[in-house]
Amino acid sequence: MNALLAVAQIKGPHLDWAGLSPLIALLGGAVTVLLLGLLRNRLVRRICVPLLTMLVLAAAAGLSIWRWHHAATLVSGALRVDDLSLLLGLVAIAAAAACVLLSLRAAAPAVAGEGEYHALLLSTVSGMVVLLAAQNFVTLFLGFELLSIPLYVLCGSELRRRGSLESGLKYLIVGSVGSATLLYGLALIYGATGSTDFSGVAAALSSGSLASDPLLLTGVALTAAGLCFKCSVAPFHQWTPDVYQGAPTPITAFQAVATKAAAFGIFLRLFDGALINAQPSWGPILAALAAITIIVGNVGALGQSSLKRMLAYSSVAQAGYMLGGVLVSTRLGLQATVFYLAIYLFMNMAAFAVIVARERETGEGDDIAGMVGLGSSRPLLAWPMTLAMLSLAGIPATAGFIGKVYLIDALVDGGYAWLAVVLVVGSMISLAYYLRVVAAMWMRPSAGVAGARPIMAGGSAEAPTATRLSGLEVSVVAALFGAATLVFGIVPSPLLSLARDAGKALTGIF
Amino acid sequence: MSATTFGWLILLCPLLGTVVIALAWRWLPGASAGWIATLAIALSFGLSVAALIALLGRHPAHRELSSTLWSYASSVGLDAKLQILVDPLSVFMALVVSGVSTLIHLYSVAYMASDRGYRRYFAYLNYFVFSMLLLVEAANFLLLIVGWAFVGAASYLLISFWYRRRTATAAGIKAFVVNVVGDVGLVLGTYFIFKHLGTLDFLKVFAGVKDAFAPNQGDLVAGCVLLLVGAFAKSAQIPLHTWLPDAMEGPTPVSALIHATTMVTAGVYLIARMHPLFEHAPAAQDVGAIIGCLTLLIAGTIGLAVTDLKRVIAYSTMSQIGYMIMGVSVGAYAAGLFHLMTHAFFKALLFMAAGSLIGAMAGEQSLDRMGGFRKAMPFTYVCFIFGGLALSGVPPFSGFFSKDEVLLLTANQGGWHWILYVGGYLGALLTALYTWRMIFRAFHGEPVPEALELERGTIAHGHPFNPATGEQEDTDVGFPGPEHHTAERAASMRIAMAVLAALALLGGLIQIPHFDNAISNFLRPAFADSSLYDQSPSDTLLVVGLVLGALLGVLGILIAYRVWVQRPGTAERVRRRLAPVHRLFVEKWYFDELYDIVFVRSGAAIGRFAQLSFERVVVNGVLVGGSAGLVRAGSAAVRALQDGLVRVYAALLVFGVAAVALYFLLQSS
Repeated sequence: MNALLAVAQIKGPHLDWAGLSPLIALLGGAVTVLLLGLLRNRLVRRICVPLLTMLVLAAAAGLSIWRWHHAATLVSGALRVDDLSLLLGLVAIAAAAACVLLSLRAAAPAVAGEGEYHALLLSTVSGMVVLLAAQNFVTLFLGFELLSIPLYVLCGSELRRRGSLESGLKYLIVGSVGSATLLYGLALIYGATGSTDFSGVAAALSSGSLASDPLLLTGVALTAAGLCFKCSVAPFHQWTPDVYQGAPTPITAFQAVATKAAAFGIFLRLFDGALINAQPSWGPILAALAAITIIVGNVGALGQSSLKRMLAYSSVAQAGYMLGGVLVSTRLGLQATVFYLAIYLFMNMAAFAVIVARERETGEGDDIAGMVGLGSSRPLLAWPMTLAMLSLAGIPATAGFIGKVYLIDALVDGGYAWLAVVLVVGSMISLAYYLRVVAAMWMRPSAGVAGARPIMAGGSAEAPTATRLSGLEVSVVAALFGAATLVFGIVPSPLLSLARDAGKALTGIF
Repeated sequence: MSATTFGWLILLCPLLGTVVIALAWRWLPGASAGWIATLAIALSFGLSVAALIALLGRHPAHRELSSTLWSYASSVGLDAKLQILVDPLSVFMALVVSGVSTLIHLYSVAYMASDRGYRRYFAYLNYFVFSMLLLVEAANFLLLIVGWAFVGAASYLLISFWYRRRTATAAGIKAFVVNVVGDVGLVLGTYFIFKHLGTLDFLKVFAGVKDAFAPNQGDLVAGCVLLLVGAFAKSAQIPLHTWLPDAMEGPTPVSALIHATTMVTAGVYLIARMHPLFEHAPAAQDVGAIIGCLTLLIAGTIGLAVTDLKRVIAYSTMSQIGYMIMGVSVGAYAAGLFHLMTHAFFKALLFMAAGSLIGAMAGEQSLDRMGGFRKAMPFTYVCFIFGGLALSGVPPFSGFFSKDEVLLLTANQGGWHWILYVGGYLGALLTALYTWRMIFRAFHGEPVPEALELERGTIAHGHPFNPATGEQEDTDVGFPGPEHHTAERAASMRIAMAVLAALALLGGLIQIPHFDNAISNFLRPAFADSSLYDQSPSDTLLVVGLVLGALLGVLGILIAYRVWVQRPGTAERVRRRLAPVHRLFVEKWYFDELYDIVFVRSGAAIGRFAQLSFERVVVNGVLVGGSAGLVRAGSAAVRALQDGLVRVYAALLVFGVAAVALYFLLQSS
């Protein structure tokens, strides 16, 4: 018996339960939600499961706020919970909460099963939290996959709609290539530096001439490509429009915001942390990628009539802007990127919420035709959409303007003024498609709602056609995030100070 | 509460008024919108008085208070703050602006009663007052520019208030364009100062100006002259004055509020506020003084010749602001601001009385068609007399004290300033002449049919028409309403005018040389760093000036009486003998024609040429066509790659990875 006990005393790492608490809440919540979803009672499934999910998210958010300013390295240096990971984690949690609200009457959870749907959502968020805090390659990849796999399923969760299934499958296949690339890259870096820890990699790079080692640089190239894939940076963006368009709209909204926050978070940690000493090597190529991304995203969005597709290309362009903040490797760039990720939540969520509402109210799906005359018929939906579009375009008095100013400031300060010019030109092009939406809402008379056929949420043709109004919660999400877009455009200082705190998390940059 | 709290609340009241009326206009019955607006401004005035009391309770050395509500962006290299400065100067301006505005709102409640755009009118009017108060309370250049531009926008909205009237919209556009020229000047001037001092905060700029610039240094002079461009555009000084007479297309209370008492004095305020800059750049001061003197003379001569009642008063306004600009440009800050205050009283009074008279004429504004209203409109007549006496500078009316003080301090500068001094007194004679020409032509002589009708108890009601062109109109929204109002019949108009008449009579008494210097004592803390503030000119000069001013005023009235009342044909004879001069005055010294040739026509010619040669070929063909084609082709290419096949995506991904990896490998070797 004693011998058995001695064997059982495995030497485990010290666990800082407080630091891990947001993650534990999310993972525990996922399991509980899954179990709760097994109950066959309709009330439980329809009401209690989303409610519990919201509670779990609220708990995670509360715990994250509790850990604010308590930076800690956890699990033998595998994770680091600091203001950077907490802030971006909060962005992901907020996006998930909005997604739950938008899904309340959507087709996807009903078809896929409420418990599964919400449990997958919580798993994805926990993957993001892990990824954001990752301090070595193993946790990085663990978080990356924990983020990705539930998301593949969620994209295909509207089982009876071909578009959704296609989206999920495409995401899975192309995503696997991306993951493989990333893993290969991480392995090569390990091979070159002999360390899987970020700190070990940084130490290896700071001493000696490793910075121009072919093995390392190939590894960096593959890693960058893998992360660029997740951030939808061109030329690795191809999946984005198809997946965004096909996925259930609440999921599209969630992944547009949260995946970006998580992927850029780890981009910042890895490239501006561990690989900072190789910046002269990877800076220029990332700048080239950013420029291509800005052009491809903005140009590609021009001819789109599907709003989800348009926003997908727009998100490609915005990824290009944010990549600019990463590649300058300065504290200013870091803050600008974090700030932009935070406001990206507001403007995208507002826009997607309006799309969800219009999908349910009209038979137009997410086509821009569904927006015609919205200004006069549904001003409470038209205003958030207008604010979101203006903010994405970077018009003053919206948060997007401040975000762009910060990014441009960081680029010029970091010696990439030419990329700032590309950013501005890209924004100019982007006006063409953002303002098209605004014009459709305000400047064209409503074509008569009588002609539109009301159909089931998500545009599922198989579902029984029944008149459904979009519901209060969707309008609330749209109004809330639209208002935030405006408020943080006028009073940006609270958010700026949060971004500044998050910017202090990385120590190797100036 | 501290003075700065009052400062914020002063701004809040009109803003709330605007928002409430603009959002809830549908549910505001009858005249309630007008009363809400009036109440908002009256509250602002009360709060200004409270700020005054709070300020007076402090030690004179601590009367410059600045307060920041929030920072918009302080880390992008400049300190953009929502920040107000409460000091004697801004409180003085707030008192004048909100006080006169309250009376004009009160007047408008009756005057605009039948207009279909009644509620829109008061929303605009409150918005204007908010902008003007923002302008005078701003504590940094950024907020000043915001207020400056807001005021211009409000002015545009109100000039074009009757938006179906072609002449009104044209006048609004003209005013806006000229004002934007001024805005550009202000922004560029700010840039010159920001470039050297690195801050936009007034107090920091004023404290640092002596270290950052040598006296009369090129950049400072350039900055100050550019600020002057802004001041000239807002204050209708030559050469940016042409919009003001046209702005009389707006409703008469608007002319009284914006184009006589508040917005047009913004330039005077700006120079007084920027006095540390201007005193460090005397060259710019000289520009201001000369332009002010030129304006007061030229505007005075035009005022003698034009026959449109409101335009006579408009040119008079230009001329009087010339005095103020001259005053603050030679360091006579208290005198210039004192004149600003008294002018606000008597000019608002004159405009209100003119509105009443125009009401009696059913919209007609031409002096040629007026006459003999003395018996029909006794109250309006008395108001005109009060305003006219104050404007001509007859003791003991308010204009007497303020104008002479400006001129006295101008002479005290010595040298070529004596020319300005003489010009100023020449202008005083002109002022008395054109003012009393207007009064005698409108109120004396044979009564016109409208006057007789009014004596019988009915207001003339013809077909509605445009007074400038005679075009037929209707009375729906976008045109003036069907009813006309005179002070004799509307109590609220009468109250507003009576208060102003009393102020026109007594307003000058608060600053009598050697007796009480209330205004200069109150303003002294704001000008503590000025070397020109406390000048003591000789008493001889003072007495000579006062006597001369009074004599010239009375002389002008007497000449006017002889020419237009005793011998009615005299004016015609003079006009015939001096035909070219008269023509010059009637055509407003050909400024409009000059601008038409220099800017409009030559601009249009260049534009046509550029369109034919450059635009069609280079811009439309190569740039627009080319770039649009490029973007379109790019868009097509991006979409062509996006064919939905996963294998293509994967292939592209691999190619991308290969390209990136290749780059890195090339780097390493």
